[in-house]
Amino acid sequence: MIEAIQNSAYATWVRESPSFWAYTWILSLHAMGLAIVVGINSIVALRLLGFTPEIKINSLRKLLPWMYLGFTINAFSGLSLLAANAQNDLHNWMFFVKLSMIALAMVNLEFTKANVFNDPAVINNTGVPASAKKFALLSLLFWSLAICAGRLTEYPAFVQAWFGF
Amino acid sequence: MEQTFIRILLSTGVDNYVATHDWVWPVCEIIHFFGMFMLIGSVGLVDLRILGVAKGIPIKSLERYVPLGVIGLALNLTTGLIFVGGNPVGGPQEYLHNLAFQIKMALILIAGLNVIAFYVFGIARAADATPAEGDAPMSAKFVAGLSLLLWFSVILFGRYIMYNDTLLNVLGL
Repeated sequence: MIEAIQNSAYATWVRESPSFWAYTWILSLHAMGLAIVVGINSIVALRLLGFTPEIKINSLRKLLPWMYLGFTINAFSGLSLLAANAQNDLHNWMFFVKLSMIALAMVNLEFTKANVFNDPAVINNTGVPASAKKFALLSLLFWSLAICAGRLTEYPAFVQAWFGF
Repeated sequence: MEQTFIRILLSTGVDNYVATHDWVWPVCEIIHFFGMFMLIGSVGLVDLRILGVAKGIPIKSLERYVPLGVIGLALNLTTGLIFVGGNPVGGPQEYLHNLAFQIKMALILIAGLNVIAFYVFGIARAADATPAEGDAPMSAKFVAGLSLLLWFSVILFGRYIMYNDTLLNVLGL
């Protein structure tokens, strides 16, 4: 099945087409999506940690759709890159660490929405729940680890040498 | 000039250090991506707000995160120099003669000039004076749009460095 996906017309096009819009473009989209999601998350997290208190937390809500945009770009570009490299990626444990960290980061984002952005005190600009800082730190941690694992997915020999497997 | 640059770069022994320490390249790759999101997260967000996204956030307040982007850029210049100096295949010349790399460097230079124009021509002051819910002036929107286009193009051509042949082929070179 993995082989069939990798040999599909689409996966082959992504991997082998000399078109500008094939592999390298999709790889670039993946980096751009990362910069959008993680970049915006960092600023939101720093605000929740207490920086720039003059920015109303409620006003940051408008940035959430942009985080979902970045995430969506990366879900699609990521699936395309995975199809093109299925056999390598699915045998790379660092790739699964990366996916786990992204899942944790996205679950953490939903908790942040439910517990911080939907808190009446935040909506009315009268206060911030104490849990906000915890969610902010977790988001920075999960996204940082996702990037580390994502980059290390490209260096299996190095990972083998340092982690032993 | 190129020879002088390469001589200074290699006089640091960076090529030998990268060749004998397998962690340097992957760790620098990780740092390079951190620098990228720090730059896009701070500068890119100011640009988005100037273009009219997320009104309610004061532009001046978002601008306080720009130093984070400057740190990101510094991290990327440093790790970038390590990549160029420590390139195990073909040395620094391989990068300096790589079209995607040349385009990326030119775009970073233009993006830098764009930032200078933003401050020197008083555009930043006009943008800062925009009320939290307000619309930034057209001049600021132009600079912001150009900034986003330039920085995302930097990412694009950065990724193309490793696939320079595809780029040359597409351009018919």
